Amino acid sequence: MKKKSLLSSKIFMLLLMIFFYLPIIYTIIFSFNGSKSLTHWSGFSLQWYERMFSNSSMTEAIWYTITIAILATIISTIVGTITAIGLSKCGKVLRTAVERVNDLPILNPEIVTAIGLLMFFSALGLKKGYLTMLLAHIMFCIPYVMLSITPKLRSLDPNLADAALDLGATPWQALIKVIVPQIMPGIVSGALIAFTMSFDDFVISYFVTGNGVNNISILVYTMSKRVNPSINALSTVIIIMITAVLLIINIIPIIKERKTKK
Amino acid sequence: MKQFKTMAYPYIAWIAVMIVAPMLLIFMYAFTVKGNSVTTFRFTLENFINFFSDAVFLDVLKRSLIIAIVTTIICIIIGYPAAYIIANAPGRKNVMLILLITMPTWINMLVRTYAWVGILQDDGIINSLLQMIGLGKIKLLHTSFAVILGMVYNFVPFMILQIHSSLAKMDKSLLEAASDLGANRVQAFLRVTLPLSLPGVISGITLVFLPAVSSFFIPKLLGGGQYVLIGNVIENQFLTAGNWNFGSAISLIMAVIILISMYITKKVDKGEDAKGGFAK
Amino acid sequence: MKKYIALLLGVSFILAGCGGSSSSSSSSAEGGSNVLKVYNWGEYTGETLIEDFEAEYDAKVICEYFDSNEMMYTKVQAGDKYDVLVPSDYMIERLIKENMLQELDLEKIPNIENLADGVKNLEYDPDNTYSVPYFWGTVGIVYDKNNVTEAELKAKGWEILRDTKYAGDVYIYDSERDSFMVALKALGYSMNTDNEDEINAAYEWLLELNNTMEPTYVTDEVIDNMANGMKSLAVVYSGDAAYILSENEDMGFFMPEEGTNVWSDAMVIPANAENADLAHEFINYVLTYDASYGNSEYVGYASSNAEVLEDMSSEGGDYYENEAYLPRTDNPNDEIFHDNEVLRAKLSELWIKVKAAK
Repeated sequence: MKKKSLLSSKIFMLLLMIFFYLPIIYTIIFSFNGSKSLTHWSGFSLQWYERMFSNSSMTEAIWYTITIAILATIISTIVGTITAIGLSKCGKVLRTAVERVNDLPILNPEIVTAIGLLMFFSALGLKKGYLTMLLAHIMFCIPYVMLSITPKLRSLDPNLADAALDLGATPWQALIKVIVPQIMPGIVSGALIAFTMSFDDFVISYFVTGNGVNNISILVYTMSKRVNPSINALSTVIIIMITAVLLIINIIPIIKERKTKK
Repeated sequence: MKQFKTMAYPYIAWIAVMIVAPMLLIFMYAFTVKGNSVTTFRFTLENFINFFSDAVFLDVLKRSLIIAIVTTIICIIIGYPAAYIIANAPGRKNVMLILLITMPTWINMLVRTYAWVGILQDDGIINSLLQMIGLGKIKLLHTSFAVILGMVYNFVPFMILQIHSSLAKMDKSLLEAASDLGANRVQAFLRVTLPLSLPGVISGITLVFLPAVSSFFIPKLLGGGQYVLIGNVIENQFLTAGNWNFGSAISLIMAVIILISMYITKKVDKGEDAKGGFAK
Repeated sequence: MKKYIALLLGVSFILAGCGGSSSSSSSSAEGGSNVLKVYNWGEYTGETLIEDFEAEYDAKVICEYFDSNEMMYTKVQAGDKYDVLVPSDYMIERLIKENMLQELDLEKIPNIENLADGVKNLEYDPDNTYSVPYFWGTVGIVYDKNNVTEAELKAKGWEILRDTKYAGDVYIYDSERDSFMVALKALGYSMNTDNEDEINAAYEWLLELNNTMEPTYVTDEVIDNMANGMKSLAVVYSGDAAYILSENEDMGFFMPEEGTNVWSDAMVIPANAENADLAHEFINYVLTYDASYGNSEYVGYASSNAEVLEDMSSEGGDYYENEAYLPRTDNPNDEIFHDNEVLRAKLSELWIKVKAAK
């Protein structure tokens, strides 16, 4: 009985992974395409990579995208966590109001948020560029973080925090050492989602940026007018970078284990 | 513990500025109409009346809602088992799986969607394979199937993440207690695991349904230009028609509908009102 | 725990510092006088145009891209400052009407004499008071020569798109402006008409097309798809058609006698430009033979420079015998789009109804 269910879950996960990675593999393959086409193969070539690396706007865009995504993720995760915890202690009316307001950036079509922010920044006379893009990203990331953390907070056992206080912990210690570790899966998934939303954002970024600050999505979108597999080359490079990070994350614990064994 | 509530105040100030203020601008656009050339506003419900009196728009809205609901349901059907399997996987494998699931979402959505176009089109991979086996071509691209496939592909990782974070670190002793009390595995699942994971499912639904209703790029590319969803209409009004007033009005209508449906969904999760958990 | 927070904050500050400084260095490091902000269509300049200009004028060019006039308009009217824009004819008309452009000092643009005849005296700006043409072209039908004969095209004109023989085999451009143009021309009306009856007739024309032909509405995917011969007929811009024809010899390009849209994209300087002088230099530079040649060669659109146009389309040129490269100038039924706000909104609404109809 157990063996059977283990097999079916393995098959399920395998199929799921194939589903997830099919387009990724397709992208990688087509980044080596000899012709301009994004859909018809005509031989192996590295021309798109050459083009990509010699194109400074692409490398700049990668830099901007990564830095803004990391910054936005860090800031929104910290602020989101603090606020979610604080909010759980507030009255129901306030909490519901904030949650509804938080829903707005998620449910609104991005063009609406984008136009709203565009007009808002213009009204304030803010010069558009890196800062406005960062602010906008933080703005729409925090709701995602809070959305991930709040369910975890609700299923927390309140007695644990109280017990900590009884045993002499300060509120800060209770927060850091009891509450946060318990909601950690929510924080992590919130951070992951925030990173994704920021990394991939196009519409909002497009309208609030300026000064030549482009992110990868903007480049991809405006360059796909005339069929450009450099985009696939760009994506493949990102895939490689991410895979490298994943490998590092997995190798470090192994190295640590070996060291402690010695 | 009560002093924690002041931690929320800075953010509340932030959203008043960053979310509410821009939304007020949109609100203002929705209830006004542009004058002839200079922006002289007059308050009116014209935009809303225009929308509701046109059967085509209502039809588009209905279709968008249906697609979003179907997408959400499929995401739950795929996402829950996946989250369950991952949550029960040992330590490092758990982390690896989560990262594997999330990684595709970091590749630009445009790029991934174009890849699906290539895979699904009439002479794409799938049809080529079918032809090799001797079966005929199927029209896969520019169908509802393609749109839902694309949307599910885009959103299911979020559903998995949300459900997973609910299932992870679930108190295993509760399950042990259940089996001690005579429950079999199915009963234990239905009466212990499922209810405890419900908050995760609800937030997963929020994360999928909301953006799904307003998405425009995936329907455009995978459904073809003739696949018009409410997101496409809004985008068109803002960018091509230049009619921000009408576009804003449609978004408000959509927002209200979504908020109402979320409210109904949350009623299902009775845990909102019940005392218990950290949030009192 | 505290260590992690400190680490995160440290990383944040470093990144913020880098981000801030790199964005300021990519903008006004040399002070305001040698920076040029160009807002252009995506992939619309020759491979080395920007670098060559930067080298010759010791300047820094910041490029931003748009993929529709309306997108550009949205950012410009919100107050974003650019030095050079490259909008289309009808958008330029609108910008002029709304006083958003500055008059050009033609003495700073001597190369204006290089302009081809086809782009001189354009209706929206006959004396080049505000604009200097960049690319121009027409809209036509790309057809698979194996499946469609020229005789058929000549006989039917735009109506061939509704010939049920080709049901399921047609690409229509997903743009209300272009589709209504096709319908209005097919019915013999002006593409700029605001006569309600004529517009409704066009709407019915398109509705029937939608209901009987199973068309596929696409935008730029049409370029790649037709280059790979996926369907028999498509409505395509001439520049994109030139690319398709150069990639696929089975494809031909046809412009119906009933008339089509002749369009042009031109360089303009916004009223709030910060570096108008350098903007003039840029415009002048683009009109040189080398720059225009580079543009036309890479993008495939018809150049506004007379010599380049000539060389490209004659023997030895890249687009010799490519019937889509050189726009026609001799058909009195061809028209330029004019800006009409009321029409714009109406067409938008009708187009959605056409597409959403079952």
